[in-house]
Amino acid sequence: MKKQIILFSLLFFISWTADNSSQSEEANAKIKSIYIYNFTKYIEWPDAYKQGNFVIGVVGTNNSLMRELNKMASLKMVGNQKIEIVNTSANELAKCNIVYLLSENAAQLSEIINNSKNTSTLIVADKAGAALKGAGINFVVIENKQTIEINKANIEKYKLKISATLVELAIQVK
Amino acid sequence: MGKLLIYIKRNLVFFLLVANTLALTAQKEQVNAAARYLQQKSLDSAKIAIEKAILDNKTSTQGNTWYLRGFIYKSIYNTQEKEQKYSSARIQALESFKHAYEIDTSKQAIQESIKNIKYLATTLYNDAAASLDSMDYKTALEVFDTFKKYYSLVDTSAVNNKQTDIKFLQALASVYTQLFDLDKKVNVEFLSRAKNTYNKVLTMDPNNIFANYNMGILYYNQAVNLINQLDYGTDIRSLSDVQDNSIKLFKESLPFLEKAYALDPKRKETLYGLSGIYYSLNEMDKSNLFKQRLEEMKEK
Repeated sequence: MKKQIILFSLLFFISWTADNSSQSEEANAKIKSIYIYNFTKYIEWPDAYKQGNFVIGVVGTNNSLMRELNKMASLKMVGNQKIEIVNTSANELAKCNIVYLLSENAAQLSEIINNSKNTSTLIVADKAGAALKGAGINFVVIENKQTIEINKANIEKYKLKISATLVELAIQVK
Repeated sequence: MGKLLIYIKRNLVFFLLVANTLALTAQKEQVNAAARYLQQKSLDSAKIAIEKAILDNKTSTQGNTWYLRGFIYKSIYNTQEKEQKYSSARIQALESFKHAYEIDTSKQAIQESIKNIKYLATTLYNDAAASLDSMDYKTALEVFDTFKKYYSLVDTSAVNNKQTDIKFLQALASVYTQLFDLDKKVNVEFLSRAKNTYNKVLTMDPNNIFANYNMGILYYNQAVNLINQLDYGTDIRSLSDVQDNSIKLFKESLPFLEKAYALDPKRKETLYGLSGIYYSLNEMDKSNLFKQRLEEMKEK
């Protein structure tokens, strides 16, 4: 029976042996990208920010997230605006419609807030407590699920209008 | 081919002894003729003669007649139908040896019949494996069932039969997984087939590391695919529903991979899988723990 056992054994490992973690990172990044695209539907920017590209600045490094955001940018528009994804930094913040501060760079939140005065930038963070410290929207995990906190005041002070629907769908922080 | 000729020659010695005895009576002329034709390699004529012999009331009750019939059909299978997975000659041969085994209780006849049934059943097993190799799962299932039907006659060892079933089912589940992966939307039924098949393996052998790992990965991939299939314009409510479903699947995946990990803590694929599941469940500390174990293994 040796010959047959060899024949079957060839099939045992086919199921999948790739690096599962990177798939998880991509999936996680996709969820966040979908959320971010939703922000563009439920938040209205002043006219000055409806010109040119719709810029999403990312502060920090996350290759999976950048790939997903760029895929989104290649497939979607915000009104008539093309979406542009840029890597930016807290001290030299580009003119962004949205700035997304990654969790590893959360300490730079106050710097971003300082550099965003007199702008209409939606500040999105990814760290517990960030919505209380000035972020408009903060990614949080509740029972294994990616969801968002919203601090309406932190959004409106940048002359952004947020729809009631988005507020209802999020955890409200005051 | 050389081995086959030696095998035929060796079996013919036994058969000719039988045929000489049978030739003593006129009723056994057809049996004798069949034997001669077989010796001359005139298999069609041998087949006609032996079919007449089994219609005769006296010769049809002789185990030797059925043994000869089995040998003729086995020769037809080996020379004309070897490539046919549904070879009727092979089935006729198996049925003949089975009948010979049932009615002739002499030690030599039983041994010869068992040997031939084992040989032919083994060719069925090989054909089932070859069918799986070419993703023809339907043929594989049918041929494997036929293999079991005959092999269980001559090998009643429960352990052997269970191991054979497990190996076949594992390979079958892998084929279902591959078919599902070819087109996840069209071939969705193969996902549940794969899961059901791994469940059968795990019922027989709960500590089967491959079945545990593969089952876990099936759930994991299903969860990831739910997210990957989403459009970037998906609204938040729908996204929430998809997340609920994917979390459920990630959690279903977890016990299988945890079991695979308990069975072999050094298997890298399992560590990657667990790291991935915990990452997807946003349990980063646990995900990092498995990543760290992988790093430690790389350093050694």
